[in-house]
Amino acid sequence: MNGGRLRAPLMRRRRLRGWPWLALQIVLAGSLLALFLLPIYALFTYATPAEIWSAATNAAVDQAIWVTLYASGFAVLAAVVFAIPLGYLLGHRPFRGRSVIESVVALPVAVPHLLVGLGIFLLVIPGTPLFKFTHEIGFPVLNTIWGVVLVMVFVSAPYTVLASDLAFRAIDSRTLEAARSLGAGPATAFLTVSFPLALRGIVAGLLLTWARAVSEIGGILIVAFAIYPGGAYEGPVTSTISVLVYNLFQAGDLQGAAAVSTVFLLIAFALFLLVRVGERSGWVPWRRGELLP
Amino acid sequence: MTGWTVEGLESDLDRFHLGPVDLELPAGRVLAVLGPSGAGKTTLLRTLAGFLPARSGSIVRDGADVTDQPPEARKLGYVPQGLGLFPHRTVERNVSYAFEMQGRLDWKVRTRELLRRFGLTALADRRPARLSGGESQRVALARALAAEPALVLWDEPSQALDVAARHELGLVLEELRGEEKMPVVVVTHDPGLAFSVADRFLLLRAGRVDGVSDAASLLAHPRDAFTARFVGYENVFDRAALAGAPPGALATWLADRAGPQGIAFPRPTLGEGTGSTGAWAGRVRGVHPGPEGLALTLQVDALRVALRAPLPLGTSTPAIGGTVRFDVPAESLRPLG
Repeated sequence: MNGGRLRAPLMRRRRLRGWPWLALQIVLAGSLLALFLLPIYALFTYATPAEIWSAATNAAVDQAIWVTLYASGFAVLAAVVFAIPLGYLLGHRPFRGRSVIESVVALPVAVPHLLVGLGIFLLVIPGTPLFKFTHEIGFPVLNTIWGVVLVMVFVSAPYTVLASDLAFRAIDSRTLEAARSLGAGPATAFLTVSFPLALRGIVAGLLLTWARAVSEIGGILIVAFAIYPGGAYEGPVTSTISVLVYNLFQAGDLQGAAAVSTVFLLIAFALFLLVRVGERSGWVPWRRGELLP
Repeated sequence: MTGWTVEGLESDLDRFHLGPVDLELPAGRVLAVLGPSGAGKTTLLRTLAGFLPARSGSIVRDGADVTDQPPEARKLGYVPQGLGLFPHRTVERNVSYAFEMQGRLDWKVRTRELLRRFGLTALADRRPARLSGGESQRVALARALAAEPALVLWDEPSQALDVAARHELGLVLEELRGEEKMPVVVVTHDPGLAFSVADRFLLLRAGRVDGVSDAASLLAHPRDAFTARFVGYENVFDRAALAGAPPGALATWLADRAGPQGIAFPRPTLGEGTGSTGAWAGRVRGVHPGPEGLALTLQVDALRVALRAPLPLGTSTPAIGGTVRFDVPAESLRPLG
């Protein structure tokens, strides 16, 4: 009979909706979460609280943390100035060659970051036209804070471009047409409609950009292994926190490496949490998608 | 008092070509744009609004050529399909948008006045996501009228509205027609709404204007099957539907009287005895009671014919499957084309 053959797969499907189905999801998702959390746990527990405290109060460590946050701030600023407009260009309306540009934007995410560093290094080593030019405009790259910022922007700005691209694309074009018909010029329509509506997506992209910038090491190892005073940084010779941890590890100081990592992770977590809590509780204007009161 | 003149207007959207369109829009005129899907109704509206460039022709407002002006300079009240309300602004701030653009200091007072007029005062602090379809329509209309536009363009006002909201919208629009002094162009699929608010009808077909007429001539001389159905004829038969019937059949009788595009006629009324006499006979396929009597559908050979049986009904109520006889008055026939 036909009925019997049809019923068997139906019953099997129904059984998959029960607790085994839920258990499967929990096991798969849980494995990944464990992979995320276990290394962090190892970091936090390797160094003793006393070692973490001494790392946190160490002047060289503080300098490295400060320079990392400082440089990543510039990277986020660069993303605001350059990446949001590019995202708007891509998301506002379709045009020929859009997918080509989108591929170019995705490129930095895919390229190994040591290669990025090497590429920038080759552009600005002494003797190249860019070396001369960057020195003349007071923007020296090799082993300066600008080198760090340049690498950070390269690897992190795509997240803001892609996020704002998607955010602008999600806006119903008829909303903008309504604004235009009510007397708003293109720029006013952007400021009063497009931008407020896209802001949440853009901020999410900026957060990713910041996180990616702070965690960068590959490119920085080549372009700015040590950071000498110059450009926007005046202070003792230092390095980003990632390079500092790398150096400690290379020197065999595992406790030191773990302690510095822990300090930095705590600060990074705190900053991330602050933004998320701020969004949830409405301290920040973009939560409601409205800038004006 | 503002009047608009459109002459030889043409525009292109991808491979679609609109025009040439000639229109006279004096103050107070309400023009309904009719046409099947893909006829270019929305394209016409967006060209008038300035979102699509005119390839040729002119749009003149009170003697001033605005053809090349951007949308924001045209003094429009444009309500796009789907309304285009600002989801991030409250009802109040949606309505006040045009005042803000004009930099009016009295925007609060004026907005409050508009909200009151459209019955939106209680909703002033709501976001569009929490409005019903009818409320959203009123917000869109209030917002469009805020700037005292010189032309109102409205795309599908009654789309996705329930019966009550549609009725309410009709009342708002009727009132509007009496008050406002600018022309209104409304694109609609809704004959009830079109007839209640519009005084002229523009027929679009594949990007071309198929004529501008008033309600009376539209009813007396529907140009084609689409128009005939739109204005309310329920018996609309094109040439193909009438072809091939044996002599003596209703189809043959209609074919002899049809125009090049077919024929239309209103529901014939069943007389005394509810369907026991008449030249034609058919089997009852559907009976729909209504406040004005029964609406019947009959199968007459290959044709589906709609009839009306006014209340009170005679001795026998037509039943599904039964046979009913009827006449089609020759003076009610409207040849198409």
